[in-house]
Amino acid sequence: MIASIRQILLMGRDGARRRVFALLLITLFPFATKPASAHHAFTAVFDAKQPIKLTGTVTKLEWQNPHTWFYIDVKDESGNVRNWGMEMGSPNLLIRAGWSRNSLKIGDVVTVEGFRSRDGSSNGNAQVVTLTNSGQRLFAASSQAQPIQSR
Amino acid sequence: MSSILASVALSLFVSAASAQWMKDPASSLPRTSDGKADLTAPAPKTADGKFDLSGTWLADPDPKGSRQNVENMSFSQYFINVAADLKPDEVPFQPWAKTLFMQRLQSQGKESPTARCKPTGVPAINSVPLPFKIVQTPKLMLLLYEENTTFRQVFLDGRQPVKDAEPRWLGYSTGRWEADTLVVDTAGFNDQFWLDGMGHPHSDHLYVTERFRRRDTGHLEIQVTINDPKAYTGPISYTQKLTLVPDEDLLEYFCSENERDVQSFQ
Repeated sequence: MIASIRQILLMGRDGARRRVFALLLITLFPFATKPASAHHAFTAVFDAKQPIKLTGTVTKLEWQNPHTWFYIDVKDESGNVRNWGMEMGSPNLLIRAGWSRNSLKIGDVVTVEGFRSRDGSSNGNAQVVTLTNSGQRLFAASSQAQPIQSR
Repeated sequence: MSSILASVALSLFVSAASAQWMKDPASSLPRTSDGKADLTAPAPKTADGKFDLSGTWLADPDPKGSRQNVENMSFSQYFINVAADLKPDEVPFQPWAKTLFMQRLQSQGKESPTARCKPTGVPAINSVPLPFKIVQTPKLMLLLYEENTTFRQVFLDGRQPVKDAEPRWLGYSTGRWEADTLVVDTAGFNDQFWLDGMGHPHSDHLYVTERFRRRDTGHLEIQVTINDPKAYTGPISYTQKLTLVPDEDLLEYFCSENERDVQSFQ
């Protein structure tokens, strides 16, 4: 693939080459501009073609940089339990979005919507977190998501 | 019931934010009648008559972007792409730089130095979604970045650029005033970082000029010009707008604290 791109870049007249380059960028890398955080690109870790929605019980919280992680036990239809790790943004971003390290507690039952890791592991990126008991959506465009910054 | 829950939740968040010592009780910002910081008040000046750039600043998000995900955040377009104001075929790449840029895009960002907790370089460090604090003194301006809890020193004492500099991630910075604008020149970079999230490359000939202008109390502009004749046939320029983050202080951010993503790269 790299060799073919190099060939394309080297071929033809300047104008045609430039148009091909612009087209390549748009068609091959539609997610190139989507960051997951200040730390890494979304596409480096997660697969936008694998949306997931999981309900489970929080077993662990890592409120640390560069990413907050929380872990949930998810039971499948056969009763087998698998532990999923869900990545969110930096605690610094989350604090400014209204979260605290106490927003999720071990034992909370949550429903998480997000995207699965590209490596096929039981990890994902959390886009929306909902507390199952109260139905409260945690800070994903919810009424509680009042940014502290007045921008 | 839901409104009670929301109120309780909000009060918890407020107390949590206070516990983080994010509020700055010593703030001397001009205030409107309702006690909020007056972001449109005239820009302050220092005792020696210069504009005072001091304050905590955060890059404005992409005006075409939207707040997303649990972080409720959108990023500056220049943090993602220093050539955001150009069409893809207008970027003045040298051939090797274009090839390397395409390789980095193909790798889906897995080769990014910051994904391995390497430092964010100049000028991207001004555009990350974490604030930084400017402390301006007559002969030295300090830029204290929340990103990786790091700093830059901009010497305003008339010194000349370093000759045969030991290459650095953040380079060597000197500044001079041109009317109401502080012009900061930075050189002496290594070639180990990316100019942005997409992976625009550079060489050790990178030379960055940042023109800082505080329009009013709440708004700062940094006009950035990237020159690197080894990587680009001409300059790349853009203006990063920033907004004052009133009454708030920096937090810690050490990327190495709990980096867990690189192990998943294949």
